[in-house]
Amino acid sequence: MLVVKNVSKIYTNNKKAVDNLDLEIQKGEIIGFIGPNGAGKTTTIRMITGMIAPTEGTIEINGKDIARESVEAKKNFTFVPDHPTIFDAIKGIDYLNFIADMYEVDLKQRKEQIEKYTRAFHIYDALGQTINSYSHGMKQKLLISGALLPNPNLFILDEPMVGLDPHSAKILKDIMREHCERGGTVFFSSHVLEVVENLCHRVVIIHRGRPIACDTLENIKKSSSATLEEIFLEMTKDE
Amino acid sequence: MNKFISLTKIQVLDFFSKYTQKLNVKNKYLGILVMFVPVLLVLPAAQLVLELYHTFLMVGFPELTITYMYIANTILIVFSSIPLIISIFFYAKDLRLIATLPIREDTIVFSKLASIYIYLLVISCFFLGNSIVLYGTIGGLKVVSLLVGILALLISPLVPMIIATIVLLPFMSVIGSGKRRNLMVVVGNLILIGAIIFIQMISSNIQMRPEELNNLLLQQDGLLMVIGRRFPPSIWLTKMIEGSMLHGLLFIAFNFVLLWILRGLAKTLYNRALMKFNQEGAPAVRGKLYYKSKSKGFQMVRRHINIILGNPIFFLNTVLTIFVPILMFVIVLFTGEVGMDISKSEALASYRLFIYTAVITTPAILGSLSATVITREGKAFWETKVLPVSAKDNIRYRIYSTLVIKLMGSLILGILVLFVIPMDLTSILIAMAFCIAATLFFSSIDMIINIERPFLNWTNPTAAVKNNLNILLSLLIRAIVGFLGYGLVKLLGGWQVSSIILILCGLLFVFYIITRYVIYEMYVEKFIDIAP
Ligand SMILES: Nc1ncnc2c1ncn2[C@@H]1O[C@H](COP(=O)(O)OP(=O)(O)OP(=O)(O)O)[C@@H](O)[C@H]1O
Ligand SMILES: [Mg+2]
Repeated sequence: MLVVKNVSKIYTNNKKAVDNLDLEIQKGEIIGFIGPNGAGKTTTIRMITGMIAPTEGTIEINGKDIARESVEAKKNFTFVPDHPTIFDAIKGIDYLNFIADMYEVDLKQRKEQIEKYTRAFHIYDALGQTINSYSHGMKQKLLISGALLPNPNLFILDEPMVGLDPHSAKILKDIMREHCERGGTVFFSSHVLEVVENLCHRVVIIHRGRPIACDTLENIKKSSSATLEEIFLEMTKDE
Repeated sequence: MNKFISLTKIQVLDFFSKYTQKLNVKNKYLGILVMFVPVLLVLPAAQLVLELYHTFLMVGFPELTITYMYIANTILIVFSSIPLIISIFFYAKDLRLIATLPIREDTIVFSKLASIYIYLLVISCFFLGNSIVLYGTIGGLKVVSLLVGILALLISPLVPMIIATIVLLPFMSVIGSGKRRNLMVVVGNLILIGAIIFIQMISSNIQMRPEELNNLLLQQDGLLMVIGRRFPPSIWLTKMIEGSMLHGLLFIAFNFVLLWILRGLAKTLYNRALMKFNQEGAPAVRGKLYYKSKSKGFQMVRRHINIILGNPIFFLNTVLTIFVPILMFVIVLFTGEVGMDISKSEALASYRLFIYTAVITTPAILGSLSATVITREGKAFWETKVLPVSAKDNIRYRIYSTLVIKLMGSLILGILVLFVIPMDLTSILIAMAFCIAATLFFSSIDMIINIERPFLNWTNPTAAVKNNLNILLSLLIRAIVGFLGYGLVKLLGGWQVSSIILILCGLLFVFYIITRYVIYEMYVEKFIDIAP
């Protein structure tokens, strides 16, 4: 589904944020992407989603290169960023219709999906209001609903749990599981290790721009009884 | 006092850091050159002032240049400061933080004004600054006049800025308390600006009785009194520069009295207007749920237009840059100085086409909308980048949104001006062709500026659309193209006006094709690489 090959990113200030990253995600997997602050998670996700171009390396989504066939590649995924900053002088429903048009979702599916997700997240009644009157969490849930609405093959989220109340977080986790049972793929970064531990088939740990682990939880734990937290702290310890 | 200085320092830094930050010019010399852009823009202003100077010199009163320019400058500054004040007091993102700090209200108000002051001072340099320097240097150095003049220049933005503040803050709290707040802010301010222009028109139209005028003119400073009567401080300033201590004191005292009044009012203004406005929630406009599908292109263009409509500062700025020059044109036309002759005189027939073409092309020339189309999105810029829309289309729809707005402006102007200057169909078509070519060219070339310098992190909306280098660069391009066009017109002196305009139109179109090629071939990569 997603193949990241030898990808590096050097920002214009010469900061090497991602260093030679390799990654391969299969269809139907839920992948957790963890690492300390500033490790390069957001940068990696920005490259995968085509927001910025990698300095080196290639990224393929469903066999399409994000740089060369960007439109075809982008039809395969949707994305929820770490901060729900969107153009907010429009109404929630305007935003969802906008997204649906971009992914060419027909009217019937559009209506069903919008109702399904916005009702699940309890923002259905707010859809007629302008987004700048939403709270942080409401915006986040609007973005998630928008991203789920085209029923994407690959669902990418950057720190989706930040700002969600326990109910909404639970709903999101259920939706992610359900999405992968239907054959979808989920890739998300998080600092909440319990969520990663409970949800993910595989975990990628990144530290100072380099991947230091990429495996199933069992293999990472190497049959020790340590929690993911203990392993994470040990692996990303600064000498 | 310390708090004031550090708060001011932050405000000023924030206001101007955008000018130099992310210059992103690899070539060192080019970088230095870019810093001198404003200087290049001063030259045309200097030319204008020089002409005015010579006119007044012929009547024997060169100092009237200063009187005249001071009045013009004051009006210009009132206009410029309106969107700035609204933006920095009511739509700046930092007020939420500042409001929690242990600082006195007048300190906040003054430190916010300080950053505007510096910007206005730069504007003052263009016309008032030029006239003071020219007056003080032409025909021998007048050291005292020059020094006093520079002092006057330094305090000149205060009066219009403070007046605008004292009027605007309460005004905003009144219009900003309703339901459709953003709309009210835009409409309210347009009405306010209209009112200022109207008062100007009336005051310059007041005819004096002939014997009164004669009496005035017979006095020693007759002409000065006639010109300066609209705004007495201009008389004091002129005399102060000529060396009158008394008038100097009067002028400076006038400024200090206004400062002192503002200081006295600061606390009330802050609590009643600023806090009230900022505590009002965002408008929760309710609408029906609907499910409707539209084409991608339509949605994208609408998004970019909505970004302007959804932000009062962007909206106000767009309307002002497109229409205010025309309002000025109308004032000049109706205040009798040029008169209605243009539409009638046969000798001017050929110029009518020039004038008409120029008027309907102003939106293309003055609105640098494409130069800020990415900037305006700010932190929401990432949105369209992850959508399945190619980078080329993504750029294209941005240019389209500029075209839609500018051509709409041109259309409205074209129809309005027809009432003043009647034109035949052929001329209208020629003017239209020119206007379209110019709009296409400027809307595209501005896009290059914005891709080169995206500048997405702004704290107040004026910084996004006005006070940044992109606008200056885009004005510079216009100055250069205008200069070339002017040269060509001179060169083709004997030709028919319509032929000249068609040739210019053809050239602009060729420029457009080249620009288009450059954007879609060379700037797509750069666009993709803009880090949100
Ligand atoms: N636009 C940028 N320009 C320059 N450097 C950047 C930019 N964005 C990020 N960086 C740098 O790249 C590195 C990785 O940042 P990134 O945002 O990818 O981290 P992260 O893993 O998402 O961290 P967090 O957990 O805090 O979200 C950091 O050192 C950061 O300073
Ligand atoms: Mg991050």
